[in-house]
Amino acid sequence: MPTPLKRLTACATIALASVLGHASPAGAIDPAQLAAADQNPNDWLTYHGSYKSYHYSLLDQINADNIKQLAVAWTHFPGRSTRGLQSMPLVADGVLYYSGSYSRVFALDGATGKLLWSFFPELDDELISMQTHSPYNRGIALGNDKLYVGTVDGRLIALDMKTGKPVWDTKLVNSQKLTVGFTGAPLFVKDKVIIGSQGGEWTSRGPIFGVDAETGKKSWEFLTVAGTDEAMKTWGGESWRTGGGGGWMPGTYDVETDTVWWGTANPSPLYDWSGADWQKSGPRPGTNLYTSSVLGLDPETGKLKFYYQELPHDAWDFDSAVGEFVSIDRDGRKLMVHPNKGGFIFVYDRGNGKLDNVWKLADNINFVKDINPKTGELIGRRDLSAGVVNPPLCPEISGGVSWNSGAYSPKTGLYYKIAQEWCQEMEVVKTTPIVEPMAQLNIGANFKLVPPPGGKIYGHLDARDPVTGAKKWEVRYDAPPLASVLATAGNLVFVPDASGILHAYDATSGQELWSHNDGIGHVGGIISYSAGGKQFIAVEAGWGSLVGDDYAAAFGEPWKSMPKDTGALIVYSMSQ
Amino acid sequence: MRQILVVAILIATAIGWPAPPRAATPDANAPGPATPEASSSDIDGETMFATSCGWCHQQGGRAAGRGPKLAGDKKSDDALIDRIKRGKPGAMPAFGRAFSDGQIIAILAYIRSLDDAGN
Repeated sequence: MPTPLKRLTACATIALASVLGHASPAGAIDPAQLAAADQNPNDWLTYHGSYKSYHYSLLDQINADNIKQLAVAWTHFPGRSTRGLQSMPLVADGVLYYSGSYSRVFALDGATGKLLWSFFPELDDELISMQTHSPYNRGIALGNDKLYVGTVDGRLIALDMKTGKPVWDTKLVNSQKLTVGFTGAPLFVKDKVIIGSQGGEWTSRGPIFGVDAETGKKSWEFLTVAGTDEAMKTWGGESWRTGGGGGWMPGTYDVETDTVWWGTANPSPLYDWSGADWQKSGPRPGTNLYTSSVLGLDPETGKLKFYYQELPHDAWDFDSAVGEFVSIDRDGRKLMVHPNKGGFIFVYDRGNGKLDNVWKLADNINFVKDINPKTGELIGRRDLSAGVVNPPLCPEISGGVSWNSGAYSPKTGLYYKIAQEWCQEMEVVKTTPIVEPMAQLNIGANFKLVPPPGGKIYGHLDARDPVTGAKKWEVRYDAPPLASVLATAGNLVFVPDASGILHAYDATSGQELWSHNDGIGHVGGIISYSAGGKQFIAVEAGWGSLVGDDYAAAFGEPWKSMPKDTGALIVYSMSQ
Repeated sequence: MRQILVVAILIATAIGWPAPPRAATPDANAPGPATPEASSSDIDGETMFATSCGWCHQQGGRAAGRGPKLAGDKKSDDALIDRIKRGKPGAMPAFGRAFSDGQIIAILAYIRSLDDAGN
């Protein structure tokens, strides 16, 4: 084992021992380990790498000086990767765990890829055939001696980490009635597993659940649509029945304040036709709490501690469900950085959820003229009335940022985040709001993806100050990358792109240092870990998703012929 | 479009009026729960298309997007109805339990009305 890795491992062990105060059972991950995950270079214990959501590895065995020796170490094919591989692998004690479509879960030897166990849940196939977003899965959680995975038919399942055998299987959502289920990863917090339901265009009320990690018993349920008396007043009449507000990506946990941070999706119907009179007219008059909002929840009770609605009465499907909450300490301030789908980055006070700043990541935004960085006011908001929308709305429905995560390097102080530049022609149509379950999508518009004004569609990786948004460098792509980003202490930033190329850049300068063709587009996670004293980079390749489905018509090849039912976990290490 | 609606209603009447619809317009001032009741839009294929189909079949079905362009589609009526009912695994949801036969006929009538010229 090279010296830097040894040193880091030793530091991490000491740090963990001081946090834990005692040895945990072999293979088990106790809450203190999760709380200190950002100091543990060998594992990747939770979706965002740690509760700080840095998507950053302390490992530097693979670095900017030797990256050219990076080569494929092993590959795993999960099969049936319908709509692509969209999850985030996790690693504990040298074992890599990951999920694929249909919530299939695999445990592999992290050094060799040897299969240790697999779990294929039986799902409601008829329900899956009716769902718009099925059957992909975006990840798992680890805690104590169990692995947790949600299913598209509304269940949360706990597996024994050592054997893959089910320990409990809890039905949380009546998906057969509400259409939606779980695609997002759970989050393990203390003795609870927290998971949010799908839903932006359906009649469900976007619940977020807290479940007892040992027994599987539901501890609490927070309704993100009209879940409190205050929120109920923000939906005119009975319009809360149109629903929305799914918490469909995993948020994070702030240990110091004992608060779960979670984002919510848009209200339904999408593209309501109320125009400027949205407070009083249209299908859902009012601000529609707690949709398109950031929530601070008590992990024990699910009680709301605070909220901030990024887009009051979201008329554009630019929800706040992006699960990335990046903890940044700056000049004595404890901040939380959160991307909104509309292409803005919101910065909050971690103590109370108050707004600290807002900055613009995407170049092409016209759903508002701007957002006041101090008050959060949407300046010059374009509330849409029935009829043709002119000029086209920017960004398009897929957003200025997507569901996958950026990365933050404490070493460079830079936040690496992908933005998407595209717009849509549209005609808002006064449809009939759906208020009873089991109908399909609830949208009020026809639309078409178009390039932004004066140019082509493009994407870009920005390296920015996470608090001020000051840009240091940018890399552009003809087609926006959709996968998550990884930063490492080796002064590297990895971007798995939409065409199948995995890029490695110098984290300080943005210079491309290395690339490799994984053979199919990426829409999932990327991590780094150590097994047997060796650093690995694991990336999911496998194209699909509602956003990715646009690429064939928008860009032609290679997406026109790219399969959307195939995927692989590809793991790299140094060739020597 | 009014003609299409009339045709769709005639077809729907011939095969039996759709099951009670699952949609209703909430009134901001209504004191009680919204009550689902039949309205003309329940059998208006154009409106139903925008509600549930337009996300993928873009520009109201006139352009390819996530799903194929439907204007000028050469598939038979039976094939299109079957696709709407059964969907396509991994690509298109099955609407057979969400929509009545009459509503599916209305959507088909809307698709057949689309002008393929210039698209």
